Amino acid sequence: MKNFKQTQGYQIIQNWMAEKGQQPFDFQQRTWQKYANGYSGLVVAPTGFGKTFSVFLGVVIQHLNHPEKSKKGLKLIWISPLRSLAKDLAKAMNEALEEIGLDWVAEVRNGDTPQKDRRRQERLMPDILLTTPETIQLLFSQKNNSKWFRNVQCIAVDEWHELLGSKRGVLTQLAITRIQTLAKSVSVWGISATIGNLDEAMQVLIPNPAVKTIMIKAKEQKKLKIVSILPDEVEELSWAGHLGKSLSSKIIPIIYENTSTLVFTNTRNQSELWYQIILDEAPDLAGQIAIHHGSIAKVQRNFIEEALSDGLLKAVICTSSLDLGVDFKPVDCVIQIGSSKGIARFMQRAGRSGHSPFETSKIYFVPTHTLQLIEISAVKEAIKQKEMEARLPMILPFDVLVQFLVTLAVGEGFKKEETFEIVKSAFAFQYLTQEEFNWCLHFITKGGSTLNAYEEFHKVMVDEDEVYRVKSRRISMLHRMNIGVIVSEVMLKVKYQKGGYVGMVEEYFISKLKKGDAFTLSGRVLEIQYIKDMTIIVKNSRKKKAITPSWNGGRLPLSSYLSHFLRVKLSDAISATGRERELKFLHPLLKNQQSNSHIPTINEFLVELIKTKEGFHVFMYPFEGRLVNEIMASLVAYRLAQITPLTFTIAMNDYGFELLSDQYIPLNEENVQDVLSKENLIADVTASINASEMASRKFRDIAQIAGLVVQTQPGARKTHKSLQSSSSLIFRVLSDYEPQNLLLRQAYTEVFDYQLESARLQEAFDRISKSTIVVKKSKGFTPLSFPLKVDSLRGLLTNEELGKRIERMQKQSMEWEA
Amino acid sequence: MGGLVKKNIILKDQELVLTTARCLFIQEIDSLVLSDLHVGKSAHFQKFGIPISKDILLNDLSRLSDLIQFFQPSKVIVVGDLFHAEYNKDLDTFKTWLLQFSEIEFVLIKGNHDRLKNQIYEDLNIVYYELKATFGQFDFVHDTENYSLNEDQITISGHLHPGVLLKGKGRQRVKLPCYIQTKDEIILPAFSEFTGLNAKINKEKATYFGFTKDKILEIK
Repeated sequence: MKNFKQTQGYQIIQNWMAEKGQQPFDFQQRTWQKYANGYSGLVVAPTGFGKTFSVFLGVVIQHLNHPEKSKKGLKLIWISPLRSLAKDLAKAMNEALEEIGLDWVAEVRNGDTPQKDRRRQERLMPDILLTTPETIQLLFSQKNNSKWFRNVQCIAVDEWHELLGSKRGVLTQLAITRIQTLAKSVSVWGISATIGNLDEAMQVLIPNPAVKTIMIKAKEQKKLKIVSILPDEVEELSWAGHLGKSLSSKIIPIIYENTSTLVFTNTRNQSELWYQIILDEAPDLAGQIAIHHGSIAKVQRNFIEEALSDGLLKAVICTSSLDLGVDFKPVDCVIQIGSSKGIARFMQRAGRSGHSPFETSKIYFVPTHTLQLIEISAVKEAIKQKEMEARLPMILPFDVLVQFLVTLAVGEGFKKEETFEIVKSAFAFQYLTQEEFNWCLHFITKGGSTLNAYEEFHKVMVDEDEVYRVKSRRISMLHRMNIGVIVSEVMLKVKYQKGGYVGMVEEYFISKLKKGDAFTLSGRVLEIQYIKDMTIIVKNSRKKKAITPSWNGGRLPLSSYLSHFLRVKLSDAISATGRERELKFLHPLLKNQQSNSHIPTINEFLVELIKTKEGFHVFMYPFEGRLVNEIMASLVAYRLAQITPLTFTIAMNDYGFELLSDQYIPLNEENVQDVLSKENLIADVTASINASEMASRKFRDIAQIAGLVVQTQPGARKTHKSLQSSSSLIFRVLSDYEPQNLLLRQAYTEVFDYQLESARLQEAFDRISKSTIVVKKSKGFTPLSFPLKVDSLRGLLTNEELGKRIERMQKQSMEWEA
Repeated sequence: MGGLVKKNIILKDQELVLTTARCLFIQEIDSLVLSDLHVGKSAHFQKFGIPISKDILLNDLSRLSDLIQFFQPSKVIVVGDLFHAEYNKDLDTFKTWLLQFSEIEFVLIKGNHDRLKNQIYEDLNIVYYELKATFGQFDFVHDTENYSLNEDQITISGHLHPGVLLKGKGRQRVKLPCYIQTKDEIILPAFSEFTGLNAKINKEKATYFGFTKDKILEIK
């Protein structure tokens, strides 16, 4: 360390910081030194502590010490998942460079970069390029692109934890491995927040064992204050209700007390509702509060973000749209409404307040039903024990590989062997076999396996020099438009007649509305006038009753880490010493649960049997999050139906599930073991769900990423009308004619691995098999079962074939709707 | 023809035979009527780098062969969108297929996709009409959007690729292709399997005949 501190580069930086009255943090110094010693690695630090300057200044110091090693053009590539951060970051970097007196330039390149700036960059790349995973791929799709990357010294990946578990992370991996072949000595540095699997995160980013790696964790910790908002009495908060509306009167004073508050809700729909609730409660806040979510016009979102930065807003009601991004200095308070579904997300949101290093982040938790108080107690426990969710990396996404190969073919063209090596060096494809790779090549050159069935398909051609190239201009164009892996719902723009863009809603939502119907968006009540070219023309409405749009995304299940702590807390709850405010508050309710049924301890699994006018109910509480609970429900229903043919209505929430039948359900203490057995688990799951339907839905993303469907941009005229098709149609066609297609296989794999979370399911059943199963009969709904009864999704489970299903539905003289 | 399920309906005293093979037979004029065959669609997609198998076309054509064998019609009427886009290799396949039915008259009412030169239809010996053809009590058009129905006639059209969404208890949903029948008209399902379904067609006083491979359901 001593030698390093004596280097000229280090001295310059230290002096520069000292002039500003700053001192480097320990983790920054360590990063600089390790960078100087040729390491790659991962920097883990809380936001606000200058993570950026750890890697960025490392590169600068190295240059100051060895200017002879730097050549013209790109030296540092800064990849970030967020466009919004790039501009501010570039500004900060350029300021620093100027003050230090280094003639480097940092520039942004992403989807927002004007054409003329891009052309200029292509002639001469800046020294530092701040970009996104998608834009790097777009660079790869240009002719003669390798020359831009030959002198790169460092690739930095900011917010790596955000990319890690996604296909964007895989695009990043592929970008890195390709640049590594062009610039042999490039260092790779990730910057991440704390997650549960940091070692793995680093390995995914830098899988090559020959590279020296180091993980640098900041000792600095963010101070955090968590306060639950409790109603005055248990009864005031509904056992199940949709909103903690009754608590709104307690939120208003918090907003007034603080400079600026972010109010996080879980869905866009809820943010619209809460905006109204707050306005109704405190009308004088009008003009000082705003609403921010992914479907609000970008211009307006930017406007809100600026107003927030300038301290002009008392509160912004938002969704995960503000989880990440630019820091808003005035924000000194966060309110979380309802479950945050995960520990990391809760921390992330809390960290949006009190942003500078030594301030305290302050978060208020507003439960939307009573049991969520146990959840907040679980979150606190997890934070105390420093447990965080892991972000699991994706493995073998063939859709991304296919896209990458075509990108290379559109750009400079590629050779088979070299490219196989590049791809295999990426973590996601380390187990890629030669056959699978060959399949991908065959897929992009020949289309499919049936001879003569693809005679007009010439997407990628192999030249005599064995280089794979795209020759057709229109295919190149289509592909460039399609690069990226973010797939969104079909969205419609909402505009006023006179112009003026309000936001976007899903096609699915609008299909249920008629002309003249009123709905709310971005806090306004709007009336549909007409729909044209993927745009909804609206006017302001005076109607009192309006529908709040629902968006399909964003229904996250409870994370498995949080579920674990939830079970622990519930188990402890009844014997709670009364020290914890939340549990103490819940005590009457828990006592009710205990006397009418049972509170499962950590080694128990609770099954409740309840008979009502409605029929026979079975409730089970795995506490595994909505998705896994849903699968378990289907499975249990399937196994029960093996005993006696029965049809069930199923309902689930993050805590448990319900099976309801109009006939007696033959479940008792004797056979419950078998019904919950871990034997034949996956086979029974496969039999109990409609896997092909689920796979077809998963295929939506895959088809788009692999270029099987042509995207239509919202608001744009459909330019490729003759190429319109839905992914479900392509799925059907492929299932019929190319059943060996790897992309189809991937759809099923994604269903099992990510949707059914088969690993988590397996663990849950392991746990149950080791638990004592407690079967309780109750005369009425219990505090645990009631929320499920009221606040839950409904789905009807059947194992019958389509035809039979329709026949039966018809017999039951149900409503047919045309 | 194994597996073909039929349903006879009467409209304005005319008997029409609906089939589960996406095709209608009219005894009165001894004709098979179908719509939206979209020949050339798979090759068109291929040209744009989307690998859709030509086997879809071969399957569609083989289904049509079976129907012709079964009903032995003197005429096959296609109410539009016979060809999807440009002239490509799928059309050669179609041409070869067509040769085996030289004794049957093929009639096309042009659809929005049928933009090939008339010479091509002539070469294929297809009788084509720009907007409408009338045989007996039947008017054949591709798309009825800007067309006023003749109340004395039965109008048969396609274009919409109609589907019907069945909803049951607890979010059960099934989408099926269908025929739509109103007082004066019949809208045909798309003949090609490589077509999507539009379940948002609202017609007044319509009956929807949704079908699976072996069942036709009447839905009012």
